[in-house]
Parts: sequence; structure tokens; C-alpha cells
Amino acid sequence: MLKSPASDSTSAPINRAETKAKIEASEKAFSLNAKDKYYALLFLGPSLLILGIFIFYPMFKTLYLSLFLTNTVGKPTVFVGLSNYINLLTSADYLNSLAVTMVYVLAVTALTIALGLLLASLASKKIAGIGFFRTLFSSTMGVSVSVAAIFWLFIFNPSTGFLSLISTWLHLPAIGWLTDPTWAMVAVIITTVWMNLGFTFLILFGAIQSVPTTLYEAASIEGASSRFQFFHITIPSISPTLFFVSIVTLIDGFKSFGLIDLMTKGGPTNATNMLVYRIYKDAFYSGNFAQASAEALILTVIIALFTLLQFKVLEKRVNY
Amino acid sequence: MVKIWDFIKNHLIPIIAVVVVAIGVAFVGASHKETTAKAGRTPIVFWHEMGGPAEQALDKMVDNFNQSQSKYEVIPQYEGAYDEAVQKIIQSHGTSASPALFQSFDISTAQMMHSKYTTPVQKFIDEDHYDTSDISPVARSFYSNKGQQLAMPFNTSQPVLYYNATLLKKYGITPPSKSPSYSEISRVAKELYEKSHHKVKGMTMEIYGWLLEEALANDKTKLINNGDGHQGNPTKINVNNPNTVKFLKWIRTNIKSGDFVNYGSGASAETNEIAAFLADKLGIFVQSSAYIGQLTTGNKNKLGISYFPHPDGTKANGVGIGGAALWISNDKPEKVQKGAFEFIKYAESAKNQANWQVATGYLALNKNSQKQKALQNLYKKIPAARVPGEQLASAKPNNANSGILMEGMQLTRELEETAMETVYNGGNIDGALTTANKAMNANLTTTNRADKK
Repeated sequence: MLKSPASDSTSAPINRAETKAKIEASEKAFSLNAKDKYYALLFLGPSLLILGIFIFYPMFKTLYLSLFLTNTVGKPTVFVGLSNYINLLTSADYLNSLAVTMVYVLAVTALTIALGLLLASLASKKIAGIGFFRTLFSSTMGVSVSVAAIFWLFIFNPSTGFLSLISTWLHLPAIGWLTDPTWAMVAVIITTVWMNLGFTFLILFGAIQSVPTTLYEAASIEGASSRFQFFHITIPSISPTLFFVSIVTLIDGFKSFGLIDLMTKGGPTNATNMLVYRIYKDAFYSGNFAQASAEALILTVIIALFTLLQFKVLEKRVNY
Repeated sequence: MVKIWDFIKNHLIPIIAVVVVAIGVAFVGASHKETTAKAGRTPIVFWHEMGGPAEQALDKMVDNFNQSQSKYEVIPQYEGAYDEAVQKIIQSHGTSASPALFQSFDISTAQMMHSKYTTPVQKFIDEDHYDTSDISPVARSFYSNKGQQLAMPFNTSQPVLYYNATLLKKYGITPPSKSPSYSEISRVAKELYEKSHHKVKGMTMEIYGWLLEEALANDKTKLINNGDGHQGNPTKINVNNPNTVKFLKWIRTNIKSGDFVNYGSGASAETNEIAAFLADKLGIFVQSSAYIGQLTTGNKNKLGISYFPHPDGTKANGVGIGGAALWISNDKPEKVQKGAFEFIKYAESAKNQANWQVATGYLALNKNSQKQKALQNLYKKIPAARVPGEQLASAKPNNANSGILMEGMQLTRELEETAMETVYNGGNIDGALTTANKAMNANLTTTNRADKK
């Protein structure tokens, strides 16, 4: 409501009527006339329609399905309330999937950031031929998931693979890279980090390049070591980028699917059966849409919580 | 209120209508492209999951069928892997995009039966007085329920044991007999590993539920009650039985003596074991007969093939089949369904089955195929190629070797594989099987409850 300075000086009845008229006028000024409404709906309508069909309807359908049992053809038949959720959260199998996903996501995020930062700070040194290394470090950005998986499958091959040849040559015991539950997780983490590295390197390298050189010059004059400069100038200056990269890597880690499907199919003994891969298997292999829906909603909650946590905790330490 | 309604009526509805129509046109346009037949012919859309050389052979068979008559036109469409195709077929049923004829793999049989989305081929067999006695009985029984043929077996394979005959000869080892026992294979594997000074691994068995199921079939053991599902809807699974233990103990013995190599599960395991076999790093492995082509082209060594091994002191019961069958959807008009059956009959003929085996390694189902020239030539070139067909012909169908007619076999198989992985990695056999059994039965109870059976 807009307040007129003149209304204070006039008598009460007139004042009231006048105010009322003014309120109406101001409401009118802020309310939409028919033409405005038309344009609002014209512009919002298509996106609302598409969001409704492709986002909201599937979301509510998923919620609905997760409260039922689904039959052979995927139709909900028996209402079971929350028992799909209860069964999942009490099954050792699902809790194992949750645990391995956490291990995978945290390891991938930490290693990607650490290695990406290392490569980026190395590449920002001004030495001859550094351009070649900069290209090399960012080269995995152009590699697709399927190519990366096949490439690493060759390396991990137990009979003819590169790693098995090295271990034979050095007389080390052979490692079942993709058949031993512990090593399979390691193999998948290595491959993911390798794939992520190109993108992370490029973003962090760009951030390091944009830190003003005057800061380093001043520090050098003060006699600060290059290690001190890295931790007290570089890291604080690029913290918004680190924050961004950590969120993107973390969420990408939760969504990791192609690599798992091509390399381990969730095995051995479910050691790499991540949450997303489980949903896919339950829905499109086993046809258990009810359980898959419940798993999808649990995953949504987990990702939302992590994102929230990151915004709350990391944001405080970010130096914008 | 009135104004808003007017607005919706005059402006919003037309906009929505335009968007919906545009999307609809895009979808129809996209799906129409592939499903139109030549004038005067009834189109029969055929979904299949054959990739690579098998797809080429199948396309050729379809072309020949289309040229052989003028009433129907079969339109083949590749739908990706078996597992995912099942859900595509079920979820598209009743829409204009659904197929008239489709290929679906062995373990989806009960699912297809329960969906009631298909017309059992028995109806057309009876109407046409089609004689099925030429088609392999053990393959037919896999896709039938209580005497009614649900679908026709098409691409059929059986697990067989492959060995490197040249390598065995080199080290002076007696090759396994035609129908070997577990201990016989252990002996050959161990001898090969020792005599090659650990350069060649003796054997492997992929972590694959199918192979575990076949070991039980060959030992005349039913995995589930009600005659492996052939006498009624199953209610109980018993994977923790003495014969599963016997099979896993056999593998465990070989792992302990060092001659066994574990390549894990899935497609990469199969690629790895074949690569090792062709590179003389592996002597024996058990795998689908469909790999025979891959194992003979470019193999400088002589390939040996024997039947699937059986436990000591028992006679082999004969293994069931793997592969897929042809089903007819019931959401298409009678005329289309009849056309689909015409193609099935064509595909099962002696000549086509013989050519199919030569091109793909899947076994010819028609017993008259053995007399066909194409197959005779193959046997002349690779004598061992005769063995899988003989194994198929020798099996007398009974409930144990006619497949497991139960919904949810995909999950059951996964649980079998998890148990195998545990055992291969040194875990307790009884513990692994107890865990698997508990999960399988819980799943079966839920499935039956959801299906209201």
C-alpha cells in the first residue's frame, strides 16, 4: 500500500473514504488486468504444461506406486502403505547399497578434488611446454563413459590386461580387479576419478589463473613460502569454485550409472551395487516398479540432504 | 470466476491443444515411419533382440519370408538386450506401437504367461494342424504349460563344455569323455595346470545363474516346487539343496588347487574367458553353444566340445535350453496374428533352422535340419560342432530340465549369482545359499501376493 503524505492533514471521515479509494487504486495498480493475465498464462502455460507432464506427474506417480505392490505388468494391485520403505530400510542388502554408495561418492569427490587441485596448481607454473600438459590433463573431458569403461576393462583384464602383465613381471600376486569385491570398488573409483579429472582440472585451473598476481607478489615480498601462498592465497581465492566443483562431483557420483553397468553390473557380491543402479535393476530387470519407486524417493531425499548440508556448511567457509 | 473461465476457454485451451497436437504428431510421425507395409500386404511388426551377425541372419530370413508370399510383410525391429526388452514389450502392450510378434528370452516365460498379453501359439497349431513333432521336444517343453504351447522356441542354445584339444595333446593329457563327470573335468584341469608349469589355467565357470540352474537340471533336481512350476504356480524355492552344494563344492575344490580362474560375471566375463581361451591361457570353460562360431574363426587350435558335466555316480539328466522364443501379441487383429504364425512356421522349417545354426551357432530345432547340406558342410569343417546338437537331441524332457516356470527369474538369477560370487571369493557355501534362499522366497511371496495368486 502506498501512503499519501496529504492524508494525515485531512479530517477523519474524508480521510477514511480517501484512504479506501487510494487503497483500491493502489491494489488496482499492482493487480493484473485481463490482458496481463493473458500474457502471464501465455508465457507460463507451455512450461507449466511440460513441467506437469514430465516432472510433476511422474513424481506423484512414483510416490503413488511406492505405496503399492505391482503385478506382472507393472500395475499397482495391493496397497501396502509404507511397508516397501520399511522392508528396504531393514534389508541388509539395501543398507549395503547405501553404504557402498556413500564410500564411492565420498572417495570419488575427495580424490577428484585433491588430484584436480594438484594438477591445476602444477599446470599454472610458467615453464616451457606447459601448454602440452594443460591439454593432456584436460583430455579426459572428451572421453565418453563407454569408451572410458572399455579402456579400463582392458587394463583390468585378469589374463591379458596391462596391470596383470605388470604384476606378473614384478612377481606380485595377481589382483582380481573386477572379481574381488574390495578391488572392484577400487577399480570403479579409479575409473570415475580418471574420467572426472579433465573437467575438474579445467575449472580449477581457470579459477587459479584468475587469482590476481599482485597478491602473490605482495606475499613474496613479505617472504611467504610458496606452500603458505597456496594455502592462504590460492585456496581462499578459489573457494567458490571448489564449492561448485564439490557439489557437481558429489551429485554426479550419486547418479553414476553407465560405468557401473559396463564394468561390474553391480557385482561382485553387490560390492558396487549403487543406489541408482539398483533402481534400474529393480524396475527394468525385475519389473518390481513399486520397490524401485520407493528406492527412487529415498535417493531423492538423500541427495537433497547432501546438497542442503553442503550449502549450509561449506557456504560459511567460502570466501566470495 | 467467469472471466477466468472465459480466458481458459478462449485462450488457454487452444494453446494446450496446439501443443498436445504438435507433440502427438511428432510421436505418430516417428512411429509411423517404420511400421508401414507395401500396398496390399498386412504389416507384422516383429520385435527382436538379436544383434551382430545374428541380426543379419535374421533380417535375411525375414526378407526371404517376405519374398516367398504376398499376403504379409514382416517388419523386424531390433530392441536391445533381452532383459530390457521384456519391460518394453509389456509396457507398450495395447498401444499402436506394440509389436504383433516378438522374441522374448527363456526366463521371461512365466512373466509373459501371467501377463495374459499373448495368444498361446497352441491355438494356431491346432487350427493349422501344424505338426510340431519335428521340433526338439526339450525346447518345446520349455515354453509350454500343462500341455499347451505358449510360444515357439526360436534361437536355442545349450551350455556345453569347451576344451583346447591341441593343448591337451601337447601335454599328453587324455581329453574328457563325451559326457564327463565333475571329477573327470577336475583331473583334466589339474593336469593341464601342473604340466604347463602353471602357464595355462585349467578351467573356469562363469558366475552365471543359468549355469547353476543347468547343473541342477543335469542332476535331475528341481529348484522350485510344483515341478519347477510346470504343475502349478510355485510357492517355495529350495536353492540350498545337497546338489547345489555338490556343484559349488566341485568348483571350490578347483579354486583351492589353483587351476581355476574366476572371470566374474556378465558380458565382460564372457569376453575375458574367450580371449584367454584363444590365447592358450585357459584350457576348459563351460558356456553357451552359441559361442561356437566365435571360438572357431581365428582359432589356430583344435576345438574340443563335450556335454555339460554331471556329478560323479549319477547319469546326466540332460540340460535344459537357453535362448528365446517367438510370441504372438493378442492386441492385434486375428489376420495379423495369423500372419505372425505363418512367419513362425517359416522360421522353424528344416532349411531355415539349418542356415540359422550355420550363421549364428544357435542350435537347429528341426530334426530334419541335420540332413540339410548347410549343416552337413559345417560338421565336415568343424566335427565338434555336432556335439551340442547331439546333446539337445539326447535330452528327454522332464520337469527338471524344462526350465523354471516362475515369475521373477531375473531377480532369482541375480541372487544365485551373488551366492556364487560369495563362494568363489572364499565364503561359506551353506551361508551363501541360506541368504540367497531367504531372499528368493521373500521375493516369491511378494510376487504371488501382488499377482493375487
